[in-house]
Amino acid sequence: MFFLHNLERRVTLHPSYFGRNMIELVTTKLLKDVEGTCAGNYYIISIMDTFDISDGRILPGSGLAEFIVGYRAVIWRPFKGEVVDAITVSVNPHGFFAMAGPLQIFVSSNSMPDEIKYAPNATPPAFTNNADWTIEPGTHVRIKLIGTRTEVGRMFAVGNINGDYLGCLQDS
Amino acid sequence: MVESARLLDDREHRELDRKREMEQSYDAEKLAETMRQRYGNRRIAKQFGDSVIVPKRLLMPSVEDPSIWGVRCKEGKEREVVFSIMKRIEERRGTKDQLGITAAFERGGLESAMKGYVYVEAYRSNDVMLALDGMLNVYPRSKMVLVEIKEMPSLLHITKTETLHPGAYVRIRRPAKHAGDLAQVLDVTENGLEARVRFVPRIDYTVAEKQADGKRKRPGTYRPPQRLFNEAEARKRGSRQITGNPQTNVWQYNGEEFENGFQVKEIKIQNLQIKDVTPGLDEVTLFVTEGEDGTENLDLKALAASLRSSKSNVTYMSGDVIEVYEGEQKGVVGKAVNVQGDIVTLRVIEGELRGQTIDVPNKGLRKRFKTGDHVKVIGGSRYRDEVGMVVKIVEDRVTFLTDQTNTEVTVFSKDLREADDIGGQGSLGQYSLLDLVQLDATTVGCIVKVDHESFVVLDQNGDVRQVMPSQITNVIPKRKTAVATDRNGSEVRLDDVVREVGGQHRQGKIIHIYRSYVYLRSNSSNENAGVFVTRTSNVATVAAKGGRINAAAGPDLNAMNPSLMRNPKANGSMPPPKVFGRDKTIGQTVTIRKGGYKGLLGIVKDATDTHCRVELHTKSKIVNVPKTDLTFKDKVTGRVIDINSRGGFGGGRGGGSAGFGGRSGHGGSGGSGWDGSRTPSLPGGLAGSRTPAWGPPKSSGAYTPAWNRNPDTSGSRTPAWNSGSRTVNPYDGNRTAYGGATSYGGSTAYGGTGGSRDPAWSMGSKTPAPDSHGVGSRTPAPGNYGGSDAWGSGSKTPAYGASAPTPGASDAWGYNAGISGTSDAYGAPTPGAGLSAPTPAALNAPTPGSYPTAPTPAAISAPTPGGGWAGGWGGADSAPTPAAGAPTPGATGGYYGAPTPAAYGAPETPAAGPRYDDDD
Repeated sequence: MFFLHNLERRVTLHPSYFGRNMIELVTTKLLKDVEGTCAGNYYIISIMDTFDISDGRILPGSGLAEFIVGYRAVIWRPFKGEVVDAITVSVNPHGFFAMAGPLQIFVSSNSMPDEIKYAPNATPPAFTNNADWTIEPGTHVRIKLIGTRTEVGRMFAVGNINGDYLGCLQDS
Repeated sequence: MVESARLLDDREHRELDRKREMEQSYDAEKLAETMRQRYGNRRIAKQFGDSVIVPKRLLMPSVEDPSIWGVRCKEGKEREVVFSIMKRIEERRGTKDQLGITAAFERGGLESAMKGYVYVEAYRSNDVMLALDGMLNVYPRSKMVLVEIKEMPSLLHITKTETLHPGAYVRIRRPAKHAGDLAQVLDVTENGLEARVRFVPRIDYTVAEKQADGKRKRPGTYRPPQRLFNEAEARKRGSRQITGNPQTNVWQYNGEEFENGFQVKEIKIQNLQIKDVTPGLDEVTLFVTEGEDGTENLDLKALAASLRSSKSNVTYMSGDVIEVYEGEQKGVVGKAVNVQGDIVTLRVIEGELRGQTIDVPNKGLRKRFKTGDHVKVIGGSRYRDEVGMVVKIVEDRVTFLTDQTNTEVTVFSKDLREADDIGGQGSLGQYSLLDLVQLDATTVGCIVKVDHESFVVLDQNGDVRQVMPSQITNVIPKRKTAVATDRNGSEVRLDDVVREVGGQHRQGKIIHIYRSYVYLRSNSSNENAGVFVTRTSNVATVAAKGGRINAAAGPDLNAMNPSLMRNPKANGSMPPPKVFGRDKTIGQTVTIRKGGYKGLLGIVKDATDTHCRVELHTKSKIVNVPKTDLTFKDKVTGRVIDINSRGGFGGGRGGGSAGFGGRSGHGGSGGSGWDGSRTPSLPGGLAGSRTPAWGPPKSSGAYTPAWNRNPDTSGSRTPAWNSGSRTVNPYDGNRTAYGGATSYGGSTAYGGTGGSRDPAWSMGSKTPAPDSHGVGSRTPAPGNYGGSDAWGSGSKTPAYGASAPTPGASDAWGYNAGISGTSDAYGAPTPGAGLSAPTPAALNAPTPGSYPTAPTPAAISAPTPGGGWAGGWGGADSAPTPAAGAPTPGATGGYYGAPTPAAYGAPETPAAGPRYDDDD
């Protein structure tokens, strides 16, 4: 689910950049450092604006200046039970992996409708019910997340396409 | 007829009506009473009916019930005895010998405490005797045990008997050869007494041979190891004993039957251990059959059955979510809040009982997980420590997707627990997943799987092998800067995304670069954790146009601003200033601080920018040592010295003469016969030499003394030396000043004057030393100071003040002064003046006028001190003493400190100033 979230971050700046456009540089650095990263259990998608840049404080020892920057960002936090659209990236006998933006999702063959079977002989390998559904790399699928896991700088989810309106998105 | 029938009918009806009316007129209690009287005695049975629930305590036996006698019988024949009793009852039913017993049962079994007894229920013991009389295997005439009433219920306590299912694991008790071996049940015979099991045989193929030889095998001790049956070997040893079918791989050998290498045998269940089998992983793997696809195919269901029967290793911890699947509380789900022994206290979290806390026995419980839970394998499964997310649950089998390898694993819920941590087996010892490790001199590999005690490694040739940590030489650290070129010649680095050009066109991120190999990792495959290896020449970067994407949209704001860097090449620290001339370490006495020669003393014979060749004192050997590992020592005192500070001076002095300071000093000292250590200052030596040169030899006595070391007036010499040497040498331009120095020599004279020559001397000698070295804080220092003082005072003090300017004056001036000074020097008291004069001139030469400059040098030129001294002297006739007293160390210190660097020139200048004034 997407949220608008107020966050805070300490940004450091090398003394050689001290000057008139310091604030601008701090903002640039914030964008560079933060946008598109995974912060624990959510992704920071985009920074809307910064609203509070503190005075810089010189860090003893290094001489870098530290600014505490408050900013507003659009974040995406995948929840258990959330339904997301994703693109299949790989298929193996146990299930398939799909990416929903930055999030990797695995859908186990146990979590698929019964009629969906792994077709090892298809090229590329696919899960198919031999009718309208064929899940192969590139296929768009709608997945319900049944669990998420967070690692440092990374998230991972397990999903399920066993339910109404889940699964292959035809001709998307 | 019809009429009469009608009347009768009518009467009957009326009768019935009247009766009902009467009954209704009775009150209910009376009715109940009559009912009871009417039917009360017709109880069908005294027992309670099946449908009625009766409190258990009412079912307990009492004294009115028949007694139970335990009768000895042959162990293992309990059941047969009971069957015989049954038979006898049938036979004698309805005859006069009808048995008076009411029941008979046995509680035999291998583990049972009641084996060896049959239990017979009867009102009288005589009935028991009659019932068992003459029966096989039972001994009623031995002592019969009357079971106490209160023990009766426990006698009938039901212990659930283990039932064997095909596929379950058991242990063999007998035959002894296989005792303790794990076996798998294939099927169980109809009567439930025997089971057909398969196990890994213990065959001694030589036995057949021996038997053929006619020798009797000694029974007993030798127990062949467990090995699968090998047809070829069996044939080799005794082909006659073997029959069978190669197609089905079923063989008979020596009367035993073998299938697929396993021995198959029917064994009585009593000779099998069924409970608490707890098959070890190593044992179970013997039964693992290779599946058609090459994957190991472990029969989990069978293992489940065996493991489930042994509850001992199930542990519940508070916090576990537990489901009751058996017993009265079946279906209840709760969270364990306390576990004590076999009793688990649950707080129910679902259903009607929600919120209540109940105690349940630990059997009949299982842990409950939900899809999406993050779990970790504990317990004895071979997947121990794997962590993953649950994708499927069937009864107590849980399938989860491992975090590490993205593979699905199925285990029992009892072996799982909720995981808080991530990763789990990411590492073993110092090696962790995806590390690049050296396997042998020519082979490296990337760890793609970490097991309990081994790794799976993908080597550079693409082969997967299993290695133990001990087989790994070391980890090859990741070099962030590693660069390779892809087939298009573009540069690729770690973390770049590249694609294979040939082959499977796999795409991945570079995780290691090793020589011409790159290890890539992709998400699209989970074979080998997604890692594969290929040659750099076989990949092409995916970035557009083959160039590296310059990710940095701007400069790195954590590092130096590039636009501020004046010299782009010189990033980081400035290199030390280039030192010309002979390396100043050469000839120094050093101790080695590090390495194999640590602590040894030696002399530097030769040096490069970074290293010295040190000749060791201990053994005649020359070793190469980095300069940073050397400590420079004073040759004589052994004190630690800083050659760099000295050297710095040298440099300051004027390039070429850099070396001068230390060494020449030495030379000088040698020549003069002075105390070497102190003399070192000697740069003076040189100066001296020059000075004389300068000064027209004969012109001034000062020179001479300076020159003559031999002259009796030691004092004179010394100072001359010192001051002269120092002051002079430093500045080329100052030679004139030298002249001054010469004057200095005058100061030497001074020493003489003082009559305190010795002090002067000593001072001179010492002073210089200190000065030059900067180290000495001794008297000499004062001397120098004196010089500086003089200077200082000269410049500042009005009296001196006059002189001060003077020093600033031009060289010529200085020179003259020097000369005059010289004479003065002679005059004794003013020698200092002479000295000072020259010096300053020399020093300042260019900026004579400017005070500031002057001072510095003054400070510096410790040497001057000599001069200073002189000056001091000049001022105070008492000279000697004070000089000696030079004591002013404090003052000195002050001066000195500043000057130190300057040490060189400074002294003179100041000296010059004051003296001059004095002269005037």
